[in-house]
Amino acid sequence: MARRTSLPVTFVVPTIAILLVLSMVPTLYAIVIALQNRELSSPDYSWVWLSNFGDLFLDRRFLNAVWVSVKWEVVTVGATMIVAIGLGVLMFEVASPRLRNVYCLLFIIPVLLPRVSAAFVWKFAYHPLYGIATYPYRLITGGLIFDPLSKPSTALFAVASVDVWQWGLFFAVIVLKLLETLPPQPIEAARLDHASRWQIHAFVTLPMLKAPLISLMFIKMIESLRSFDLIYVMTRGGPGVATETLDMYAFSQGFIESGKVSYASAMAVLMMIATVITFTMLWKRVQA
Amino acid sequence: MKPIRLAAGLSAAFMLSATVSTVALAQAPVCSAPVKVLAQPRDGLTLLEDSKAEFQKLAGAGFQIDYLNENDRRAKSRADASTVGNYNVYYVDEANVALFASSKWIVPLADYYPADYDYADFDPGRQKVATYDGKVWFAPLTGGGDLMVYRKDVLEAAGIQPPKTLDDLIADVPKLTNADKGMYGIALRGARGSGANVWRWMPFFKAYGGKWFDGDKPAFNSEAAVKATETYLKLFKDSAPGTQTGSWDESTGAFLSGQVAILVESTPLSGMAVDPKTSQVIGKIGFLPPPSPLPGGGYGHGLAIAAKANADEASKKCAGLFIAWATSKENEKRRLDAHQFGELNRTSILSSKEFADIYGADLGQALAETGKVTAVNFWQDPRWPDLGDRWGIILEELVAGTRTDIKGGLNELEAYANELVKKK
Repeated sequence: MARRTSLPVTFVVPTIAILLVLSMVPTLYAIVIALQNRELSSPDYSWVWLSNFGDLFLDRRFLNAVWVSVKWEVVTVGATMIVAIGLGVLMFEVASPRLRNVYCLLFIIPVLLPRVSAAFVWKFAYHPLYGIATYPYRLITGGLIFDPLSKPSTALFAVASVDVWQWGLFFAVIVLKLLETLPPQPIEAARLDHASRWQIHAFVTLPMLKAPLISLMFIKMIESLRSFDLIYVMTRGGPGVATETLDMYAFSQGFIESGKVSYASAMAVLMMIATVITFTMLWKRVQA
Repeated sequence: MKPIRLAAGLSAAFMLSATVSTVALAQAPVCSAPVKVLAQPRDGLTLLEDSKAEFQKLAGAGFQIDYLNENDRRAKSRADASTVGNYNVYYVDEANVALFASSKWIVPLADYYPADYDYADFDPGRQKVATYDGKVWFAPLTGGGDLMVYRKDVLEAAGIQPPKTLDDLIADVPKLTNADKGMYGIALRGARGSGANVWRWMPFFKAYGGKWFDGDKPAFNSEAAVKATETYLKLFKDSAPGTQTGSWDESTGAFLSGQVAILVESTPLSGMAVDPKTSQVIGKIGFLPPPSPLPGGGYGHGLAIAAKANADEASKKCAGLFIAWATSKENEKRRLDAHQFGELNRTSILSSKEFADIYGADLGQALAETGKVTAVNFWQDPRWPDLGDRWGIILEELVAGTRTDIKGGLNELEAYANELVKKK
């Protein structure tokens, strides 16, 4: 007969209690504030219940921010996964084990850079007159000016490219390491059946890595929701509102422009609800 | 004899203890902890850090300055002042002094600014900007109006006289642009913000007769605002690359690196333009007041005593002493010696022989001339940053081309202004 022990409870209960306090207290506080009309400039407030949420759906900048956030998620997650898988497979196929280690070291460096530093480096790289990233365009066109961060059509992609530069290269290293852990037999069997390299990866290796790749995608989706620092440094949500994501707009309303902390909290609460619903649905769909 | 001796002994003991305690009081440090300052980068403040030991000796504690760029400094100080109150001294400016004062986030300076440091010596225009509701709230670190700085060589080569009127400026700017040679007629500010793009747009608005409010009724949605915006957007076609989403740094950077023919900007630019450390156009530039009828944008930035972090009188005195020392004649003289033109605010320094020797008669004359057309262009109200920033977003959208309806933008701003008025 197994002896009953209190050890699991001793370890688990305090941890869960701390986690609950750390996660639930700010969340509940944000919900409470969202139902009030608090502003930074005044200690007075009253309960307005769902009025802030109603106002949000009549606010063109909020609706624009929702659309920009969706575009940002799709572009950064999609491009990161394409770059990661593409580069990971390329390194696996082409590079020797020693060279792979060199590439891995190089590809990890961007993600080690603080986001704000990376944002400043690339902001300067995209400068229309001095930037190294715009230099080839100036060279080819005989000095024509290209200012990707000032054009509404290119600004989001220019900022997204920095995100992909940091995370796509890092994920490529993970994909390579995942490929190296696969058993060699299925790959050898496919080769004996005269499958091309493309076919081997499309029909054998990548399907075998479906679960970790989906996990990577979810990690990137969560990470992309927190790109405030990158966007704030590079464009501040501009030009106009072309790169103003939900977190940027919430910060802007809460602290930069109006000091409307309740209105900003309402946005944060909506964002949290939308994220939970979307992620749950996606997770269930992937599990099915 | 004994009682006399005793009395004499007691008197002596009393006098001795009184003397000791007076000396102790005189030497008691004013500050018990380092003064925490939230500021934006200024050469004058960087220079001040070299004299940290002097303040330590004077006050008994040092100071620590945290720097954030203008927009971040505004956001952070607002958040800090209304919540935790971590900083003893805030860097405030003309755009947010009304908000900080009316929200009681700062305290009146005059009560804690030692008389020896002579507040009355500051330039009267800057004193005016530092005053709200009849009280002085900050000691100036910088301030002034606008100057037109132009490239003599570029204008001469194009056969153009420096523009004296706004119409001349509008006509001349496209003629001076030669993008193939990296030369642009003008540099404006595109980045959002009441102190960024709106600041540079406001002189046009005022020049066309614009007015922000008529009592409590918004009056800015007018022909003047439409015309000002059209002019601003027209001039932006010849503005240097990078300024569409840039502000002061980008437009002055473009001028100082030799890519801009004419720049109408805040007066510190003139000092930077003649400083070999920052300018590549020394010897090629001239100074004039802004083309008529553009008024200069009167402004002032300075240090104010935070209310929350300085809960007791002793803390307020300490913060006041730091501000007085930081803006003292001695420190301003150091800034003059370091050729920090934009950091000079005292009449005793601006009218000194040393100033004239360093900067020459032309600049002095231009400064005197521009003083006559310097005006307060913004709405002097605690709600100004809110309204100004809202217009800044719309103006940035117009500059970027993501919206084209100027009237629609002004209607949107008017609806927002009406909400602000209702909330008061």
